[in-house]
Amino acid sequence: MFSIIFNKKSTVASGVIGLNERNIKLIYPNNPKRHYPLADDKVLTKEILHQYHIPCAETYAVIEYNSDIKEAWKSCKHYSSVAIKPANGCGGGGIKILKKNKKGNWTCNGEMITDREVFQHMASIIMGFFSLGSHDRVLIEECIEPHPFFYEIYPQGVPDFRIITLNKTPLMGMLRMPTDRSDGKANLHQNGVGIGIDMKEGRLLEVYDGKEYSNHHPDSTFLVNGTPIPYWKEILEISVATAKAFPLNYLGIDIVIDKNKGPQIMEINVRPGLGIQLVNKTGLKEVIKQAI
Amino acid sequence: MNSKTNLKIALTIISIIAIIAIGLKIKPILDNYDNFNPEKVYKVNYKFFFKSEDKNTSLKTYTPSSNSRQRISNENIKNDSTLSFVKKKEIDENIRAIWNTVERNTYHSVDYEFVFEGKDKHFRIPKVFNIASGKYRKYLKPTEDIQSDNEIINELATQLRQNTKNDREVIKNIFEYVYAIPSAPIITLTDAVTTIEQNRASCNGKSRLFVALSRNLGYPARIKGGIIVENTDKRTSHAWVEVLINETWVPFDALNNHFGFLPANYLELYRGDKSLITHTAGIQFDYTYKMEQVHHISFLKMNSEEIYNLPGFSLWHLIDKNVIPTGALHLLLLLPIGGFLVAFLRNIVGLKTFGVFLPVLIAFSLLHTGFISGIAIFVGLIMFIGLISYPFDKLGLLYTPKVVISLTTMVSVILLATHFGVKNNIEWLTKLTFFPIIILTISAERFSRSTLEDGYIKAIDKLFQTLIATSISYLILSWSWLPSVLVLFPEVALLIIALSTSLGRYIGIRWVELFRFKPLLKAEK
Repeated sequence: MFSIIFNKKSTVASGVIGLNERNIKLIYPNNPKRHYPLADDKVLTKEILHQYHIPCAETYAVIEYNSDIKEAWKSCKHYSSVAIKPANGCGGGGIKILKKNKKGNWTCNGEMITDREVFQHMASIIMGFFSLGSHDRVLIEECIEPHPFFYEIYPQGVPDFRIITLNKTPLMGMLRMPTDRSDGKANLHQNGVGIGIDMKEGRLLEVYDGKEYSNHHPDSTFLVNGTPIPYWKEILEISVATAKAFPLNYLGIDIVIDKNKGPQIMEINVRPGLGIQLVNKTGLKEVIKQAI
Repeated sequence: MNSKTNLKIALTIISIIAIIAIGLKIKPILDNYDNFNPEKVYKVNYKFFFKSEDKNTSLKTYTPSSNSRQRISNENIKNDSTLSFVKKKEIDENIRAIWNTVERNTYHSVDYEFVFEGKDKHFRIPKVFNIASGKYRKYLKPTEDIQSDNEIINELATQLRQNTKNDREVIKNIFEYVYAIPSAPIITLTDAVTTIEQNRASCNGKSRLFVALSRNLGYPARIKGGIIVENTDKRTSHAWVEVLINETWVPFDALNNHFGFLPANYLELYRGDKSLITHTAGIQFDYTYKMEQVHHISFLKMNSEEIYNLPGFSLWHLIDKNVIPTGALHLLLLLPIGGFLVAFLRNIVGLKTFGVFLPVLIAFSLLHTGFISGIAIFVGLIMFIGLISYPFDKLGLLYTPKVVISLTTMVSVILLATHFGVKNNIEWLTKLTFFPIIILTISAERFSRSTLEDGYIKAIDKLFQTLIATSISYLILSWSWLPSVLVLFPEVALLIIALSTSLGRYIGIRWVELFRFKPLLKAEK
């Protein structure tokens, strides 16, 4: 009876880690709660990354008070593109990518945007509109342009790598990509797809769309399985460097490959999801056993 | 490591102590198991005062007897020594208590006390009734006040029977007709015909009319007399009707709208068109029925003192001394159980809910509102809030003022609905009392927060899972014995702490993860 309730057999047989085990065995002992803000607040994360010279999008400005908005925006005006983010936003809310068009006017999603609208957006970030009512900071940073390598698989949106590290060792990785159905988002539960990674060889494996595995991205014919990943060595190196820089021992590190600058750290997560096991068809416990 | 083993030892010791303490009480409690399971227990006291005149004086009243839904015990009669007392069984199986005196011009007092334990009873009413046997013939005959052969009665009865398909519909029509007559506290005797004529009656007039109509149509019927027992003193008795349906006397109260149902606090005293108290004419006489609710544990044959004397520790004094209102005490006792249940559902089953205690609290408010109507109100209101807050979302308002808007809307809707419900007599709309409103408000806030954090689809999914957890909590919390069990065995709280500790260390896969990781688990096999 008990073994049915508590699923003893299946847990032991497979190396899969569930939410309970992730929390008790991986997060609680490795990630002290007082250090969570280092990962949850993008400004704090980037301060540490800059300090250790780990490649990431250049920070153009951080705005804490409404009175600083005008000044900060003035200092950013000479860039050709910027990303504006709330430091503590959740679920990608409040992120605006601004680009200059040929005439030198700022556009957002192809439409003209006035300075006034930009100020309004920044003010609402500061007032906590995207972080559930608490005061927040605006982060203005370099806009990353995806490496053309990804165009062959799927040309739209920004795909990113997720690397899980435990005690500074990369355990498992996946490449997340948007699809026609995912509205530019690369998250698995928002209809994006995950592609497994052979960590030793640095090659892509099968594509998982949340239900089935295949060798292709659902919206293209490019053979994904077996494709070597560009900059794989660098990706692993900056993952390890990031893991060493933070006092957090179990991390999900998100990395994007920039067209010009190569792999860049996007953000880090203290509670990385478990779907990566499905994408790689491997339980995390299995991988941890091998790593030790 | 050391502190871990220390904690383990401490928890084991606590559990053992708790189990021993529970074990000590189990035997006496099982020995005193009461399969009658009364819902309500009252101490009832008839108090009579009278002055005898220049002749022999007597005072008569009906006394109750036990049956399948009421139990009478601890009968105690106190009267002054000049009164002689007899108890007599009459026709109709009524039991009469009679006090006589030959003393002239003296004051007398009588205290007739007993304990009444009652439970409600629903009767199933078949569509077609068998024809009653000859021995019930007298319940078809007209009497002076129940003029079932009267022309007016006959006309009305025929009219009520028109267009009916079966016996149950006939009875239903009679019931509804009599129920619709406005009630009035008429003290003078109202017979069946007068009730129709003045279209206004007390329980007595209504009952007489009901019986007359039933008898006219060939259904044996009689009046039943008793008292609606409440935690107060009163002077009114009550009358309702019984119709013989397939050898069972089925109760109908067309004043209080009980169709084939007798509530737990109806004390049955006599059958027939009688008055509860009769006395020699022309004497000075006064009376009250003193009634007091007695705390009890439905499944125990023990009285308060015996429960106090149980070995070990119980919370009986909190109930007995009215330290905390019973409802609040029950909530306090059930919260840990409900919390543990939700912990189980979250960590072992893998349900995602709004908070830990919210499903329990919602389940608790469902106990007030009723399950179906409660869930309907709950989902309806939250969906409504979602719709209302949508345009405000578009406006780009800050979070806190937006929550204030949705909550204000909700409060207004609740008030309007209650107003509408009261006006149009829609009972389920009026059930939102203070406690459920608070819970609803908190849930609505959590829901609107979730729509922001996770988006509408995920929030609705979470709401759905919360409702599943709520329904499971409701199933367990609505078990009427549970609060009493917890009053008798407060040690359960210790066990819950011990169990939660082991649940907190549980690292197995959740049930929903079995589905999520199915491809992986399958591959391993």
